[in-house]
Amino acid sequence: MKFYLALWFAKLMGVAINMISKDRGTNLPGEKALTIDPDFVKHFKNIDYSKVIFITGTNGKSSTTNLVTHILKQNGKKIVSNLEGANLLGGIATILAKEASLSGKLKADYYVFETDERYLPLIYAQLPAENMLITNLQKDQVQRNGDPDFIIRKLKEVVNPKMTLILNNEEPRSRFFEEIARRSIYYGVSRHDESFTKGADYPTQACPKCHHDISFDYYNVDSIGAFHCDFCGFASKKTPDYPITDLNFSDQSFKLRDVNFHMPYDLPFMFYNYAGSLAVCEAICKIPAEAAAKAFENFKNIGGRFEVMTYKNKTIKYMRIKQENPDTLQSALNIMASDKHKKMVALGLYVVNDFVPHYINTFYAFDCDFKPVIESNVERYLCFSEHVSYDTANRLIYDGVAKEAITIMDSDNINEIFAEIDKAETDNIYLITWLSTFEKMKKFIEGGQN
Amino acid sequence: MEQTIKIGWLFNNSFNLHGDRGNLLAVLAEGQRRGYQVLVEQINLDTKCFNPMDFDFLFCPPGEIEHFEAAAAFLEPHRKVLMDYIETRPMLVTGTSVAIFGESITRDDQSTIRGLGIIEVVTRENHAVYGDDLYYSCQYNGKEMDIVGSQIQMIDLEIKEESPFGRLKYGYGNNGETKFEGVISGKGIFTNTLGPLLVCNPWLTEEIFNLIETNRNWPIWEDHRDNSLELKSFKTKLAHIDKKETRLKKISER
Repeated sequence: MKFYLALWFAKLMGVAINMISKDRGTNLPGEKALTIDPDFVKHFKNIDYSKVIFITGTNGKSSTTNLVTHILKQNGKKIVSNLEGANLLGGIATILAKEASLSGKLKADYYVFETDERYLPLIYAQLPAENMLITNLQKDQVQRNGDPDFIIRKLKEVVNPKMTLILNNEEPRSRFFEEIARRSIYYGVSRHDESFTKGADYPTQACPKCHHDISFDYYNVDSIGAFHCDFCGFASKKTPDYPITDLNFSDQSFKLRDVNFHMPYDLPFMFYNYAGSLAVCEAICKIPAEAAAKAFENFKNIGGRFEVMTYKNKTIKYMRIKQENPDTLQSALNIMASDKHKKMVALGLYVVNDFVPHYINTFYAFDCDFKPVIESNVERYLCFSEHVSYDTANRLIYDGVAKEAITIMDSDNINEIFAEIDKAETDNIYLITWLSTFEKMKKFIEGGQN
Repeated sequence: MEQTIKIGWLFNNSFNLHGDRGNLLAVLAEGQRRGYQVLVEQINLDTKCFNPMDFDFLFCPPGEIEHFEAAAAFLEPHRKVLMDYIETRPMLVTGTSVAIFGESITRDDQSTIRGLGIIEVVTRENHAVYGDDLYYSCQYNGKEMDIVGSQIQMIDLEIKEESPFGRLKYGYGNNGETKFEGVISGKGIFTNTLGPLLVCNPWLTEEIFNLIETNRNWPIWEDHRDNSLELKSFKTKLAHIDKKETRLKKISER
């Protein structure tokens, strides 16, 4: 009876929230239902766990979930998915309550859920998915996760011999789980024009199997690329099950085996999301590559990390990064570096404020290679944001930027930021900062300051 | 002919948690500013001939505890030499890796890893991580200084018979219950400080170099570095610390 009360309450609450705002309520109804029935998610009926797919990992889980769902829907499948990114148990409970009948019955071909890697054991305890894609396991949110091994231990609580894993062939930590699962399917990305190498003084990582050093032949994305361990022989496979190849930036296309695909976003970090999605859709959901290719033609990602704004006669290209993780910053730097036109680089790293206490963490910038940006025709640098702007500037100076080429602003004042942008001769502005400052900047422009 | 300083970078690939490569950049920059050739040698589990005494400065960045047993086994044959080394020569160990040099590491699952026992501390993996800013005063090579940085605390330290490296002004330090930050043993610094420490606090980098010069019987470089940028950074971080919300026990109550 508790389950039905929780379900009806969640449904009512979902409707009420939806009437107030369509953008809200992705977590709350489920959270409340879980307080009424702590095993709420476990009690839904008709879920075939072999049709449940978890998508987890540090980076790329939202985009991969969006793309898998899109491909499956375009191919006529009924999907239940948490597309709004509510990836904790409450978010999944909310969507299940919304999609279920009043008696708690569900009817779908597949259940595709983005799952927060830290909370995976809690989610799995109520929803034992038999399929899981791991995008990558990197340093992230260190204030609560500490190190990647902390997350590996969380995943170890869940991965079991009944599972089918879909693994990133070129990411050593994800590959570690192949030893536990019943079946592993590998996806990968071949070397392309924006693959890169880093100097020997950039650290790699320990081999998850023998503790010795992993070497990368090249990176497709920071910390992901063809790798090997000389000591134990652990290495990326030359030909994974789902390799995407022939990545062509000029005509925005790639191939999976002999099938041509349109590349909806030509951003290197998206390529692994494409490969992983294709692996899930074909290996688990039996959608052939030819059918999936059609869905790529009209894919629009939700909540991407890249936005373009027009300000006066200037184009501001905003890239959102995760500051407690070097990978997204390196990707953003690589995108800037690939543009050889004159540019202004505005870097607004910030005080990390996810949890109390807020703290200063700019140290991952030292894992990133700024030299290609510095050599890519930068007119001027702006380092802004209160309490961290000097450290940001110092990072640039350590890679050879002259102090005189940097404007340092120990502030997040929007007017001052735009005043500096106004001074730039170039109309090509790259901006990295946190969402809050970016949204204020966007409002400033939309408010007629244009 | 250019004088050469040799730096040993321990487990540079396998211990790579918090941008600590920056400490190496700081050391390289300071050495070059003083006109030295600075050679950095990477020491990993596959290194066949490691003699600590070949180096002027050793640096061990923070690593995942998962790899500590292998690292401790690699260093164990050099334990005695490392103890002699830190009597006179500078070594910097940051973050979680301090535990390898202590007596033992108790993991969250209650298993234990034997440390090298170079410093008399016992360490315990925390069930939850604690991340925050860190601010303390310390003395190195005879110079008093203030240090600011951050810490991602996965392992608590309990000092048995050692001197703390720093006296906390703000932060969690060794375990959130004492006024102590890190350990100093001889010239070896074992600290929780990230930042990277030597980038954010070049006054410490300078003292490490002064010590290297003393050890080599070279004249101490008198032309001081322009630290104005780092001083501004230091000030604004203190302003942030002054106004921040925290649940830490007050230093005065520890």
